[in-house]
Amino acid sequence: MRGISKRFPGVLALDEVDFSVQRGTIHSLIGQNGAGKSTLMKILAGDYLPTKGEILLDGQAVSFHHPSESRARGIAIVYQELSLLPNLTVAENIFLGRELGRYYIIDDNAIRKDAQKVLEQLGVETIDVNAQLSSLPLAQQQLVEIAKAISFKPQILILDEPTAALTPQNAERLFEILKRLKNQDIAIIHITHRLKEIVEHCDWGTILRNGKVIKTLPITAQTSEDELIELMIGQEVESFYRQFVDHELTGQRILLEIEDLMIGERVKGVSFQLKSGEILGLTGLLGAGQNELVRALYGIQEGVSHCKVRRDGKAVTISSPEQAIDLGLCLLTENRKEEGLFLDMSVKENISMPSLSRFLRSKLLPLLTNLREKRAVQGIVEKVNVVMRSAEAKMRTLSGGNQQKGILARWLLRDLEVLMFIEPTRGIDVGAKAEIYRYLDSLADEGRGIIVVSPDLTEILGVADRILVMHEGSIVREFHRQEASEEVLLANIQGATVNSRQGTKGNGSYATETTGAAESPLR
Amino acid sequence: MAVTQQKQQALQKVPFAEFFAIWMDRLGTVLVALALFTIFSLTAEYFLTVQNMQNILRQMAITSILAIGMTLVILIGGIDLSVEAVVLFSAAAMNGLIFNHVMPTGLAILAGLLAAALVGLVNGLMIEKVGISPVIVTLGTLIAVRGMGQMILWINNSWLWVTEPIFDYIKATTWLLIPIPAVLMFVLYAIAAIMMKKTILGRYIYAIGGNERAARLCGVPTVNTKILVYVLCAFGAGIGGILMSARLGAISPGVGQGLTFEAITAVILGGTKLSGGVGRVEKTILGAFIVAMILNYMTIMGISAHYQRAVTGFIILGAAVLDQISRSRSR
Repeated sequence: MRGISKRFPGVLALDEVDFSVQRGTIHSLIGQNGAGKSTLMKILAGDYLPTKGEILLDGQAVSFHHPSESRARGIAIVYQELSLLPNLTVAENIFLGRELGRYYIIDDNAIRKDAQKVLEQLGVETIDVNAQLSSLPLAQQQLVEIAKAISFKPQILILDEPTAALTPQNAERLFEILKRLKNQDIAIIHITHRLKEIVEHCDWGTILRNGKVIKTLPITAQTSEDELIELMIGQEVESFYRQFVDHELTGQRILLEIEDLMIGERVKGVSFQLKSGEILGLTGLLGAGQNELVRALYGIQEGVSHCKVRRDGKAVTISSPEQAIDLGLCLLTENRKEEGLFLDMSVKENISMPSLSRFLRSKLLPLLTNLREKRAVQGIVEKVNVVMRSAEAKMRTLSGGNQQKGILARWLLRDLEVLMFIEPTRGIDVGAKAEIYRYLDSLADEGRGIIVVSPDLTEILGVADRILVMHEGSIVREFHRQEASEEVLLANIQGATVNSRQGTKGNGSYATETTGAAESPLR
Repeated sequence: MAVTQQKQQALQKVPFAEFFAIWMDRLGTVLVALALFTIFSLTAEYFLTVQNMQNILRQMAITSILAIGMTLVILIGGIDLSVEAVVLFSAAAMNGLIFNHVMPTGLAILAGLLAAALVGLVNGLMIEKVGISPVIVTLGTLIAVRGMGQMILWINNSWLWVTEPIFDYIKATTWLLIPIPAVLMFVLYAIAAIMMKKTILGRYIYAIGGNERAARLCGVPTVNTKILVYVLCAFGAGIGGILMSARLGAISPGVGQGLTFEAITAVILGGTKLSGGVGRVEKTILGAFIVAMILNYMTIMGISAHYQRAVTGFIILGAAVLDQISRSRSR
């Protein structure tokens, strides 16, 4: 791709980008949110037309007006969001839209056989081609998505954050598969925010920043994550590490007390407490029940069979977000787009949504006062450092990291005491990640209670004062930050009972230990 | 440093072509209305006269008042096909009560409005609490409520004469050359515009249409808000019933037919997205004006009512196509 530029209303997303990949390599596209990675790939895949520039395929100029045209030329793309149909079988999904058969009658056997072949090519023949897609775990669905892309026999395979939703082990397996494909002389372009993956598995890296190529470099054993981060954000790494200040926990108020929470088969009688000034980490494999647990506390989980909650010592019931907010609780879920953002509304309106009653003129004349609202939003936006054209700009125009900061700003403006997050930094670049961790920290310092749910162990180790590990719907272990390490957590989330590093169970002794301070969310 | 760079990029000047495109999108409806107005004024002798303008205002008043509620319903991602039946039902109810001397005129009109709002409440409850799709529910109430209206008429020998002087007043009086129904229309639009821009309810309506799940997680009472919107829409149709009584002087079983789609056409022409969340209620009145102008022009030019029906159909299809195009462009 040569001299590619792309202009969107108000933004130059790509500026004279040169980018090339070779057969038989894994090439990583690296950059912060909004750097232009996805846009570049969408142009290659025929989703967008470039404003300027040309694409050369094996030395021949091509232009794609539609995804089907690029697919015909051997370019396949796997997007972040799955594009599969949950009610069809694996085989049907792989060959959707090009069913094999004659005279309009679909030949199910041929489809199954071919699907089996594709899965064998990937080395994942253990997946049952007849299984209904929705019955598979997310990691396997992701593999089916890749199998679908492979079935087009691509020369170039583009993967846009394929590992974002995978656990570290599954991501490892994915890379084994990618290496197989690489050996079949396919060029693989890979986008991720996990720098570790890049350093360990990729051959080349191209760093984008603000729509420009900063550098293309071979990734060798000497390449360090820090080096990549510096190139990505254009400044020294040091300032982005989280500085640990241990929150003073002893004698704090108990904000929230959960007793015997049950959600059908998914959560089997969980009890815990949240104290003020504490960041509580909740982790486990996907489907271990941690997401359902906090969703139940926010009144948006179906099938809660038993739940006793005490807020500040008083028994309460929470059956809707309205009630939860009234009790001082909020929840930011991992589905930013579906459950957080109003893309067509302004940043201001997005942020003030739960706090509107504060901006009414008076009880008699319940009209919103634009000025007060704007000022309040402006104040909070500056604090959280949301980069935007103006508070009236549509949410759609912000990059992913800034959108997430916008949602954070929304709840900071609402000023609640208990904040719950599911994967607060999913799909966010390192810079914004570090900022969000900093806010979490300062919020805890102000005496709020915070629950962070995440399958990302470095994240949990990086932010949490106390860590609860869930396995198959129960809390299996409790750690204090200093006792836990990635290895120990990894073993525990899979159900093994491995002792912590210090060999002590969670009790008061952690306060004297300081070894955990070396852990950083970035490593 | 990275941050300031990003800021600079975000603040970069919007190029002229883009600026133009954005304003075309915003002013599109206004420009279409102006263009049609100019063409019609130049090609039809009687188009641009005070009397004809009053005619257009009278013609559009009912449709455009229905279109206010319809805009709200479409903004929350729903649809209400039953409004035209509610017009008949409320008109029949209030005039039946007046004609049979059941209650004084004022109370009877109030009862008609209440009956209308009740239909909206049923719509809202069926859609939100039972969980049936808006198209099916309001198609059902369209038929059921029209039937109920016709029942009232049948009890009263198929026709109800509108006898009260208040209706004559609404029909005949003008304020500063503007017919009363149009005055009412402007007032209602002003109230609706303020509601959408300045009240929490308005904000919630946009939020629900934009992303219902996110709205719920923000603590927006989504179910109650949506039910309220259906009630408001039907209430607007009740007001339409008053104006219809005044305009026709008699209520017959066919009253109101076609109004639903005229109202939907006005909403779409006004630029409200059928997918919900995006649109301005004050632009709907322009959509209604466009529809009324076209129908009026055809009447002046002596085109038969049958053709006019077909033309309305094509306008709604054309508007839907434009809606789709602008949606796929904004992708």
